[in-house]
Amino acid sequence: MHRLWALAQRPRLPCRTLHSTTVKRAAPAAEASSSTAVAKWTPTSVRTGVIARKRGMLVMWDGHGARFPVTVLQLENCQVTANVKTVRKDKSEYHAVQVAASDRREKTTTNAMLGHFRNAGVPAKYIVKEFPITPDAHVPVGTTLSAIHFVPGQFVDVIAKSIGKGFAGTMKRWNYKGLRASHGVSAAHRSQGAIGAHQDPGRVWPGRKMAGRLGGERTTTQNLAVVRVDTELDLVFVRGCVPGIDDAHVMVRDAKKKMIQTAQHEYAKGNMEKILPKGFETLPFPAGTKEMAAQLPPVIEAPTLRRSPFIPQS
Amino acid sequence: MLLNSLRQCARAMSTATQPYPFSKLAKIPPVLPSTSTMPREPLLKGKGLMQHLTETLATPQKRNWLHTYFARRHPLRIHPGSVLTVGLAHAPTIFSGVLLSVRRRGLDTSFVLRNVINRTGVEMQFYVCSPHLKSIKILQRAATKTSRSGPRIRRVKLYYLRDSPEKMTAISAGVRG
Repeated sequence: MHRLWALAQRPRLPCRTLHSTTVKRAAPAAEASSSTAVAKWTPTSVRTGVIARKRGMLVMWDGHGARFPVTVLQLENCQVTANVKTVRKDKSEYHAVQVAASDRREKTTTNAMLGHFRNAGVPAKYIVKEFPITPDAHVPVGTTLSAIHFVPGQFVDVIAKSIGKGFAGTMKRWNYKGLRASHGVSAAHRSQGAIGAHQDPGRVWPGRKMAGRLGGERTTTQNLAVVRVDTELDLVFVRGCVPGIDDAHVMVRDAKKKMIQTAQHEYAKGNMEKILPKGFETLPFPAGTKEMAAQLPPVIEAPTLRRSPFIPQS
Repeated sequence: MLLNSLRQCARAMSTATQPYPFSKLAKIPPVLPSTSTMPREPLLKGKGLMQHLTETLATPQKRNWLHTYFARRHPLRIHPGSVLTVGLAHAPTIFSGVLLSVRRRGLDTSFVLRNVINRTGVEMQFYVCSPHLKSIKILQRAATKTSRSGPRIRRVKLYYLRDSPEKMTAISAGVRG
C-alpha cells in the first residue's frame, strides 16, 4: 500500500499561531485543525512523548508460548500544557511540547503554577516535562494524550529517576572486585584498595572511581518494545524493566535509536519497507489523543514476529 | 448525495477491513465481558490495578487454578509433597513428579516437580498461566492436619529431597499410576 508520508516532498511551514515561547490563551483543538491541515507522520518527524506512572511488573506469554516480563505504565490524565518555540542566536529553532500529568489539589499548588495551568485550561498537575519535537509535531494545548499514542510493536525509551541506593561502596557502584575473603586479608574484604601510584604522580587522578551516592538520578532505558496498549485504563505494557519505584513518574517517548534514527536513515537510503517496524503503516500524529482512542479498539497487542523457540531448528 | 453515500460506505468498509490503521499485523483480542467487578475510578489512579490485571489477563481455567490449587488458603490447595501429573503442549507432553515448591507471584506463579527417570533426578519448573500448561492431575495429596492420607510433610520447600533418594521412593511408593 502506498504510504501517504512518502509523498511529502517539501518541509512543512512553521505554524503561524505559535509565539516566541509559550502559547498564550490556549487555542482549542478546533481552531488549530481549521488553521492547518491534518498533520501526517513523516520519517523525519519527531513526535511528543507522554508522562506515565510505573505501576508494576507482570508477565506475558507471546504467540509461541515464550515467557517475557512486562512493565505496566499508566497515563494519569496526561495533557499538553504548552507548545514551546525558541529561536536561538544563530537563527536555529528549538521546538518542544510541554506535557503535564497527575492531577493535584489546587490548594497544594503554587500560584505561579496555578496561573500556568489556568492559561492552558487544564487542572493543576504534579509533574510538568518537555519533549523536543520537529516543528510539524506540535499538539494543541489542552489535548489529553492517551495510551493509543504508542503502537504495539514499536520501541520506546523510558526515562525515570532510578531507585536510590544511598552511599554505595566501590563494589556496588563501580563493580570493583574487592579483596580476597581469606588468606590474611584483615578487615578490608570490600574496600577499594589502592587509589593511585607513588610519588609519580603523587596525587590522585581526577575522576578516580570512589564510593559515594548511587542512584536517585535520571536514567534512560532504551529500545523497550511496546507489547500491549489498553485505552480503557490508559495502560502501556513495555517489555522488560524500567527505572524507578512503583508509582513513580516516567517519561516515555519513541526510541531515538530504533525508531527515529532508523526511520531517518532508511528514508535517506530509500528503503521504504524498513522505515517503521514490520507491518506498520504510520504512527499517530501529532499525538494519540483520547478522541482518537474512542474510535479504535480498546485493547491492541503486538504480533509475535520471531520463530518459535520450542521447535528445534533443522 | 450519491457521492456522500459512497464516501460513507467507503469509510465503513475501511474501518471494517482495518480496525487499527497504524499496524497491519497488530492483534486485537476479542472483547470479553468484563469478569472483574472492580470500579473503574480507583483503577485509573492505579489502586488495585495489578490485582485487576492478574484477574483479567489470565484465562478462566488458569484463574481457577490460581484461586484453588495455588492459593495460600483454600481447601483444595496443593501442598508440597503431593504427586502431580501435568499435561504440556510441548515435549515432554506429560511429566509427573513430587511437588517441591510453589512460587506464588500472581500471574507468574510457578511450581517445581521432581522425578527420578532412568536413575536420573529430573526437576521441571512449570508456570501456571503459561499457554503450554494444559492440565494438572493430582495423583496423591500430601497429608495435612485434616487429611491423614499421603506423606506427612513439615516443610514448605522440599529441596532436601534432592539429597535423599530414599524419601523420594517413600513418597512415590504410595502412588497408583
